[in-house]
Amino acid sequence: MKHTLLYIVATFMLAALPASAQEDKWEKWGPTTGLTGGGFIARAGYVIGGTTPLPLPKEIRKINSFSPRGGISIGIDGYRMLSKRWGLSLGAHFFWEGFHTSADVKNYYVWLEQEGEITKGYFTGTNVTNTEMWGATVPLLCTFRISPRWNVSLGPYLSYYFKQTFTGEVYDNNEGVGYLREDTPVGTKILMTRDNPTPYPDDFADHMHPMSVGLEACFDWKAMRHMNVFGSLDWGLSNIWQSDFEAISFKMYPIYGTIGLAYRY
Amino acid sequence: MNKHTLLLAPCALLLSACIQKEAEGTECDIESVSLHLDRPADVFYHDYDTLQTIISTDTEITFTTRSYAEVGMLPVTLCVTPGAAIFHLTESGPEPFRNGSALDFAEGKVHKFRIVSQDKVWSREYSISVLHDKPSEGNLFIDFEEFELDASGKYYVWKGPDVFTDGQWKNGNPGFKISKSSAMPMDYPSTPAIGQGPDGSACLKLETRDTGPFGKMVNMRIASGSMFNGIFDVGNALKDALKATQFGSPFTHKPVQFRVWLRTEQGEAFLNRNGEPEPGVVDEPDAYVVLYRNEDAQGNKIQLDGNDVLSSPSIVALGRLPHHYNADGTDQLSDSPIHGLTNEWQEVVIPVEYKAEIDPEVLANKGYSLIIGFASSWQGAYFRGSIGNKLFIDNIRLLCED
Repeated sequence: MKHTLLYIVATFMLAALPASAQEDKWEKWGPTTGLTGGGFIARAGYVIGGTTPLPLPKEIRKINSFSPRGGISIGIDGYRMLSKRWGLSLGAHFFWEGFHTSADVKNYYVWLEQEGEITKGYFTGTNVTNTEMWGATVPLLCTFRISPRWNVSLGPYLSYYFKQTFTGEVYDNNEGVGYLREDTPVGTKILMTRDNPTPYPDDFADHMHPMSVGLEACFDWKAMRHMNVFGSLDWGLSNIWQSDFEAISFKMYPIYGTIGLAYRY
Repeated sequence: MNKHTLLLAPCALLLSACIQKEAEGTECDIESVSLHLDRPADVFYHDYDTLQTIISTDTEITFTTRSYAEVGMLPVTLCVTPGAAIFHLTESGPEPFRNGSALDFAEGKVHKFRIVSQDKVWSREYSISVLHDKPSEGNLFIDFEEFELDASGKYYVWKGPDVFTDGQWKNGNPGFKISKSSAMPMDYPSTPAIGQGPDGSACLKLETRDTGPFGKMVNMRIASGSMFNGIFDVGNALKDALKATQFGSPFTHKPVQFRVWLRTEQGEAFLNRNGEPEPGVVDEPDAYVVLYRNEDAQGNKIQLDGNDVLSSPSIVALGRLPHHYNADGTDQLSDSPIHGLTNEWQEVVIPVEYKAEIDPEVLANKGYSLIIGFASSWQGAYFRGSIGNKLFIDNIRLLCED
């Protein structure tokens, strides 16, 4: 991921070099006045992405379907250009994001505890997951101005979730295979079916971290004097699950992208 | 197709590209065993007796032959988990087994097999034997004095008459274990009651129990205490609970009277499947004896389960505690049960009523199966009943025609 970003930045830099001579263009598309100075950017975008283990574990055999839930981000950034090319920005973005996915799994370890009752073992079949998150992200980004009209930004972010949901269920896959081997792969084989799917316990969301940190990369293209087209990617670096949560045996990270329009003043 | 399709296609593609190489299999079950004979009817009572489907909790596989049949070398085919390897455990050590190889089953010889998973980490051992049928004397007397904890130490199991499948009583305790892992042996729906029998010895106690948070999750909120002969296939307990109870064992005698000591204790409010109280309904215990034809005209096995244990057209004889029924024959819930049981012990005599003539030839060739069944909630198979409803059982006498 890191290499890809560097590559993109480098490509843009090379492409932009011949244009850098035209100083008037730099001023025209610059901050509100001149080459340095600051302002605000109000952003609204469509969010799409998922919360996923990385890399995908071997237990996941096939993605049957994927669809976003929610997908709105609205926010404002304050920015200041410190020089012709370099600047900083600090923002507050409110979001509603999430997804639904259905995946075929094999030997997927589950450990469920409810009111002291424990069911655990290895599940093979279809696993459906839905998650939605409402929250706010504060990105602190370093901005590099590639050309008069192109900016790229990169930096850390901190997210706080007002509300999180995480639900799902398990049942048989399209070939009719759905079962839990209790405790071990040679334990009692308990068949499961979509006629009576087994849902996740309703307290999964209680085991999610209310905060996450990650890296945000963003590009802005100044389409008009006050209007930007932007795209950003929030790559979560902290596990969404609290460390003592054993129901899901791997770490999961939120990775969401946004495309939208921004008003710059 | 919707407007997201263009955006989503690359996402799904991207995710799919990240799918890793499949791990090797970890399972190692014998799923079925078949023996190959030119004329199965000479050795077995039914043609279908040569093939056994093995449930995941079984490791001792027994084929029962006619009492006079002599068996020797028989080709054996094991259907195992795909990728797993079969080893025949011989005196000289484990040897790879090729399906269709003949093994000597004379004089009750037991063959042991080890199935090793594809990843070679897990293995299971099984035994296979072919045993002579033992003649049974017909009349049964059962007092529930022989019980012990099962291998997991979680719940009790009861020895039954030799004519019962596996020589054991079966019940829903293994299913209850899935939902309530924390339960102690005496908290299960089917438990012994030591010193509480009519004669002061041990009796059987069935009690309808709350299945806890997991039961609620899968909409199976209660577990009726149960006891029957046949097979409890715990693998089906969640998928198709009615199919999990496979009733009956082949029987060569004609039952005429079913006598049993019973007493009952009333539980709390009657709950429907959604766990809501049903006013004006009182829960009822159940006790029944059934004789049914176990093979159809084409020679296929007929297996009664929770769907048709008391209603199958294959039933030839039935004796049951009295209940109310609707005009169409379905069960009628009411607030005035007529089973006649009280808190005090009484010996109940249940007549066995025949709906069809018994063919003595078919009877002698194990063409009928016998069911003796009990439940603390008569609607328990549909997860309806009163938590705390109890049925105490002792001293069963099943009298058969000479």
